[in-house]
Amino acid sequence: MKRMLRTYGWELLLVVLIVLAGIWSSFLSPYFLDPVNLFSSAGFFVIFALMAFGLFPIILQGEIDISLASTLAVGSVLLGKLSQLGFPLAVALPIVLIICGILGAVNGLLVAVVGLPSLAVTLGTMGAYRGIAYLFAGDAGVTTIPPAYVSLGSSWIGIVPMTVVLAIAVGIVFAVLTTSTRFGRNSYAIGNSASASRLAGVSVAATRVAAYALAGVASGLAGYVWLAQYQSARGDNADGSILFVITAVVLGGVSIKGGSGRALGVALAILLLGTIQTGMKLANIPGTSQTLVIGALLVGSIGIPRIVQIVRGRIAAPRPAPKIDVDVRREEATQESKRTA
Amino acid sequence: MSNPTAVTRRRLSLGGSTSALRVRFLGVVIFLAILVIAFSLLSPQFFTLGNGRSVLFTAAILAIAAAGQSLVVLTGNLDLSVGSIMGLTAYVVFDLAGKNAALQPFVVILALAIGALLGFINGVFVTVLQIPSIVATLGTLSIYRGFVSVYANAKEVTSGTLPPWMRALATQVWLGLPSYVWISAVIIAIVAVALTRLPWGRKIYAYGSNPKAARFYGLSSTRIVIGAYVGAGMIAAIAGLLLGAQVGNINSLLANGIELQVLAAVVIGGVSIWGGSGSVIGAAIGAVVLATINNGLVLLEVQEFYRLLIQGAAIIAAVWVDAIVQRRVIGSGTRRRIMEVES
Repeated sequence: MKRMLRTYGWELLLVVLIVLAGIWSSFLSPYFLDPVNLFSSAGFFVIFALMAFGLFPIILQGEIDISLASTLAVGSVLLGKLSQLGFPLAVALPIVLIICGILGAVNGLLVAVVGLPSLAVTLGTMGAYRGIAYLFAGDAGVTTIPPAYVSLGSSWIGIVPMTVVLAIAVGIVFAVLTTSTRFGRNSYAIGNSASASRLAGVSVAATRVAAYALAGVASGLAGYVWLAQYQSARGDNADGSILFVITAVVLGGVSIKGGSGRALGVALAILLLGTIQTGMKLANIPGTSQTLVIGALLVGSIGIPRIVQIVRGRIAAPRPAPKIDVDVRREEATQESKRTA
Repeated sequence: MSNPTAVTRRRLSLGGSTSALRVRFLGVVIFLAILVIAFSLLSPQFFTLGNGRSVLFTAAILAIAAAGQSLVVLTGNLDLSVGSIMGLTAYVVFDLAGKNAALQPFVVILALAIGALLGFINGVFVTVLQIPSIVATLGTLSIYRGFVSVYANAKEVTSGTLPPWMRALATQVWLGLPSYVWISAVIIAIVAVALTRLPWGRKIYAYGSNPKAARFYGLSSTRIVIGAYVGAGMIAAIAGLLLGAQVGNINSLLANGIELQVLAAVVIGGVSIWGGSGSVIGAAIGAVVLATINNGLVLLEVQEFYRLLIQGAAIIAAVWVDAIVQRRVIGSGTRRRIMEVES
């Protein structure tokens, strides 16, 4: 029991917060706990969940990808165009997923093979992929979508929207990938120390490229959900949503430095953010004010344990500051990236 | 063994004795020159005095924000909250000056104080609480923006509350150039001198190029990083104030999402994202590059696609050059290799 508490402490904390947020939301509005409301609100967060699951292995490896929302836009616009050209969904969707996977792999190659810093690379491709989306979409975007393409957005299993089922399925796939495959084990190893992993015979570059390609595919899938939910696709789809996605992954307990975190945590973080946002929306709190709570949650989730640690350290016998460890690690990481460069 | 490394690298970036580092700065200038020549050939309206002014005017505020951002990037950290600091400062200052006319002469000092406070909070999160800078400033990006939104309560404020001289600034032309360009140049010059001449700036380079060596050298990482964030916050606050005065009526969304543009300017300007090398003048030129791309492509009436594509390609090209430079600098300094083995 104690071991389980220690291992899944973060996830338990998230569950407690979700319950608290749920209680608070149901005080704000009596309609919150209505199952139909709950599940239809959940549908709104599927797009973010898919991108967050895709981003998860990348952050696990100690890298970042801020181009995913642009990849989503390429996916949704391309799928919309293919639908207008008369392709059946069963042909168009795989094409789109492969292209989005290639876009992700390009990021991966620039990061892992050329050795460029991932933040800067994906800052560049964020613009470039957004440009590609605009190129396909034109000024008007795609608006008339055949019913076969959008049926996902309006089909339900009981009271659960199909898109939520899809998100859960993708979450399970990423959970299995990271816990039970060589790719997953290598991802944790690379996140802890890329140079040690290389010496141990792990193909660091291939694992990184795979993670980026997977994230591209997940974003393409999110593009499909976007098209099905909103029945239109434009070049500016999901613009600016990447910061929310990163917040979800980090809040899910995935260390931004890499090496630790679980898919379950990411899923719970999305659920928590979704609960808070839905509750605040019901209470008529505007979207930009909601960010105050989300930002505080993000900083607090990492900062408060640290404050507790500092206060404890002050009370207990003075020990050498633990700062140095972190700095040494940071230094190692810098040198590592410089060496791969 | 670690100290010589920091000193060597410091000298490299100071005197530019290694050609590789000079190449990077030259690279940005050459890229800008190519852009200007290409646009001049393609569009007759581009290479005119009026258009040059308009490019510099658009670049001015971005260049100020980029100067602040480079302080933080030089320490090996990031400040994603720059847009929120700009928006918060402008809104709060306008609002306070509107409610209390006695505050009007002190708007700039007020803005600097708010910027310093917000930057200090960022710095404390990154150093004392040891939250990775990308996460900490992603958090404060949301917190500061959320705060303005709550504070503003969906209202607007107008620059009419500002003292008249401040309002007039946005449209004034001094010695043939918009006043904002001069203000921007002065701020960048101050930051550049502070970085290269003052101990405060030298410590930022020393810490950024090798945090561990800086620690052994007796430098306080906490103080250096907080100092960089406070400086960045104050500069962002000024940028926000100027942007607000230019826009006129502002709501809680002023400068929303500008952080990635600012970061792009810094990266294109050759400031290493790994910290420790690059110059604030380079970052300012990076802002001019972005403004030139936007302006030229608008004149050519090309699609959004090309603008985003060229911008993206410029960022990747810049970090690619940076990576090659880093490799050459590290390759030439065997001392660094020795240090790596020892650590």
